[in-house]
Amino acid sequence: MPDLQASYGELAAARGLERLPGFDPGPLTPLLSEANGASLQPALRGRLGDGVDGVVGHLAYKRNKTFRFNVALTEVPVATAFAPRVFCVRRGRVTRDDEFYGFGARHSKLWTESTVLNERYAVTTSPYQDPIWLRRLFSPGFIDWLRTAEPADFSFELAYGAVLGSVEEDDPGADGLAALCDATAHVATRIREECEE
Amino acid sequence: MQLNRVGIGLIAFFGLAGAAFAVAPILIGVPGEVAGILAMVGVIWVLVAAGLAWYARRQKRKAAHQDWIFQQGIRGTATVLYAGSHSTVNEMPLMSLRLDLEVPGAGTREVERREIMPVFAASRMEPGLTLPAYVNPEDPDDFILVW
Repeated sequence: MPDLQASYGELAAARGLERLPGFDPGPLTPLLSEANGASLQPALRGRLGDGVDGVVGHLAYKRNKTFRFNVALTEVPVATAFAPRVFCVRRGRVTRDDEFYGFGARHSKLWTESTVLNERYAVTTSPYQDPIWLRRLFSPGFIDWLRTAEPADFSFELAYGAVLGSVEEDDPGADGLAALCDATAHVATRIREECEE
Repeated sequence: MQLNRVGIGLIAFFGLAGAAFAVAPILIGVPGEVAGILAMVGVIWVLVAAGLAWYARRQKRKAAHQDWIFQQGIRGTATVLYAGSHSTVNEMPLMSLRLDLEVPGAGTREVERREIMPVFAASRMEPGLTLPAYVNPEDPDDFILVW
């Protein structure tokens, strides 16, 4: 995909990111687990946003069809002790649900306290996630930002300290990739702030 | 675990179809040997439905108990000492965990827990990982692990 390579090249030049031959993140989050070992290609490493380092790359994997995402990955390890899993996924995005056979394992719980947030995202957590911490994380300011955040198809997953921002667009261009990096850095910063409170 | 729509469908199917197999041949006058075979199949299906319903009820009670621990329990932490898996359930690893459970006011104790986890969660269960936990104030062996 030459256009995609050009978009990543433009982003690398604009932000001083290091080109990687490929990056294998491992099954850190549900989306990366769905990709079943696919590596990020192209991939860039460096500063995603203010004080947030990570990797941004293109994720493509095949199931019954080829799925393509552009993702930005960073870490907030301290978050695990507060919230092992928080997934804020754009409504309408197709993901595998966690029901199987006749008895569904309750691996996640829908968080529906914010109507505004739930118009755009499906927010799921561990079934016994501390609701007070979650309410503090999703402060009115953060909800307002998420409600209007660019890129429009942005979603994020926090799983055991790994923060993965993602967009569904095949080639969002250098500006779209920059917006993905900024949004992911913003989310990671917000999570870190709340952990440090 | 909780009963989902597929589960309700399975219980309804085995229960109703089993009852129909058991009773209908007798009512419509099917010859004795065939009616006996159908009745036996019907009874087995009804027993399957009853078993599923019993399991669902047990899981519901367990979930209610866990909800109670979450609401009334003491919040602590569980640090993974060992994590391993030798089997999977529907492509999800059945994880055996050994944990250091630390509860404020009750010290630290080593406990074991088995959980079915998605791959992304199972792959992160490594020694040193600290997770939230809630412990039954009346029974320190009774706890829920937030993973």
